Amino acid sequence: MDYQVILIENNRLMLERLSSVIRATAGFNLIARYQQAGDALGQWAMFKPNIILLDIDVTGNLGLIPEFASAFPEAALLCVSSHWDAKDAAQIVKAGAKGYLVKPFTGEEFLEAVQTFGKSGMALGSEVLAFFSPKGKSGKTTLIANLAMSLANKSGEAVGIIDADLQFGDMAVFFNLEPKSTIMEATRDIKFLSPITLNSYFVEVPEAENIHVLCGTKKPEYAEMVDVASFEDMVRMAQSLFRYVLIDLPPGFNPISLAASELSTTTYVMAMVGGGYEVLHMKRALGIFEAWPDYRSRVKTIFTRVSPCTDEERRILEQELGYPVSAILPNEYLLVSAAANNGRMAVDIQPDTPLSQNINRLSEDIMGRRRTRWGAQP
Amino acid sequence: MEEQGRRGNVITVFSTASAVGKTLVAVNMAAELARLGYRACLVDADLQFGDVCNYLHLVPERTLADAQKAAEADADTFDVSQFLDVYTCDNISFSVMAAPLRLDEAYNMAVLSVQHILQQLQFHFDFVVVDTTSAFSEMNLMIMDMSTIITFLGIVDFIPTIKNMKIGCDTIHSLGYESSKIRLVLNRSKSKTKIDLEDVERILGEPFYHVLSNDFKAAWDATAAGVPLVRSADTALAKDLRSLVARFTNNEVEDDSGAEGGVSSWFKRIFK
Repeated sequence: MDYQVILIENNRLMLERLSSVIRATAGFNLIARYQQAGDALGQWAMFKPNIILLDIDVTGNLGLIPEFASAFPEAALLCVSSHWDAKDAAQIVKAGAKGYLVKPFTGEEFLEAVQTFGKSGMALGSEVLAFFSPKGKSGKTTLIANLAMSLANKSGEAVGIIDADLQFGDMAVFFNLEPKSTIMEATRDIKFLSPITLNSYFVEVPEAENIHVLCGTKKPEYAEMVDVASFEDMVRMAQSLFRYVLIDLPPGFNPISLAASELSTTTYVMAMVGGGYEVLHMKRALGIFEAWPDYRSRVKTIFTRVSPCTDEERRILEQELGYPVSAILPNEYLLVSAAANNGRMAVDIQPDTPLSQNINRLSEDIMGRRRTRWGAQP
Repeated sequence: MEEQGRRGNVITVFSTASAVGKTLVAVNMAAELARLGYRACLVDADLQFGDVCNYLHLVPERTLADAQKAAEADADTFDVSQFLDVYTCDNISFSVMAAPLRLDEAYNMAVLSVQHILQQLQFHFDFVVVDTTSAFSEMNLMIMDMSTIITFLGIVDFIPTIKNMKIGCDTIHSLGYESSKIRLVLNRSKSKTKIDLEDVERILGEPFYHVLSNDFKAAWDATAAGVPLVRSADTALAKDLRSLVARFTNNEVEDDSGAEGGVSSWFKRIFK
């Protein structure tokens, strides 16, 4: 069955332009169009739309969203604007709209917007989880890839991974992806993107269609082309695409790792047990985050390759660190490397190992926190 | 301000994969050079989370950050030797330029300041060994530019590590250095891997210059005790580290015929 579309667009020329795009897109039927939102609200009873496109560049139209949402409970309300604004996006979703489109749009973008937002709506209050490590080799890429799998399976929601380890990001290798575009192109183009167009910079994971990955740069020298302000805009925009945004950070404190931590709902500080000085480094790193007023609830710690991986061991680490340890992961070097060498995830290959179980427990924690933070949200 | 005089070697220990043993190799290079009678200084350029002092059980009294401040305050009276700590063990003694103690100091270290400090160190020492972070940062690029030799340390681990080694190797070669400046060294500390050394060499497109034996225990014990491995030659790893330094220094003698100037010319320079 075709989608029945009502278009509300104040600018006469834009109205014409968007109309012809909708008419030319297979599967869509333009049933009515208006320049004034009031006309649509007064005349809706004549039609049975599934999609309403509302021009929010007109002052006052933002305030009409709740009225539209109750007048057309069966329809998906998509707001249309000439530019993307993260604040507006959050506001319109709270008011009852499903998504946000930047005009003018192409037929493909329109179709993708309907497919992305139509069912579940734009993500609201999505969790940004930043994974920070003082030094390299912390096991964070392994954790993020597996955690994404686990979160996607358990919640059924969209999970996005941003590989911000700009020079030596491994996410593409872990998932065996061949990205056409990377974080470099996404941040370069961000001023011209909306969530829908940003989505196309992410690569879908073949074995898990609700996980999308924005891969790291292809060459180390491209890293300096990623500018921090654009990176921040990109992360904010990704929040409207995914319920969970997981960010893999380069080791140590640098402009990108600081920006991502600032934007995060939770920052995980991670280290791999090995050389003997991890606790010391982690302590110093935590010292930087202490400046946040909500530091204790927002900063969590994880140790990997903990052996033996027991509660007792976790308590010992906690005592040394003087800070709660949220998760410990066992050493599963052979399993993890065999999986990564083949572009698979340990939680998929061997769900019963202690590693998989601990990662699943962490993902349940994250989902539980989300429920308490965002109330009754499904 | 162009300064005159003989400048010592800079040997940088670099890698693009983390936790491959950079600090272990750097510490032992400095120690071995000192054991052979060279004036050696070890610089911890892993500014934020450097482990040089941890490995040597050294509590530094002065750091790079102090040196930077002093150099900025008065460049004319700045004397880099006042900001060094000395590590001594048996007959081995070398200087250490420690990483900043505070993270904010580390974060704010300027590339030009570190460059200036390294240049000053070159006047005082035959060898300045620099331990780095695993990234092509501005800081590391400056250090590599200054280096006589870059020890590019690798490990045969799993695919992502090898990918990063390959990218690192290609990038470092794209910087236009003479190929003799870059020495590929393999640390075999992870023996569990199923990947062959020959395959890695094929991927990298060049053979390893030197291979360090797998002896995790020896490395661990030495680190835990805060002593360099090369203090004695009773482990295979210590022998490999010693022979790596022997190869470096042999080349050095061939390349630099003016090196015989020795102590007297050094004194002349200092007190000119």
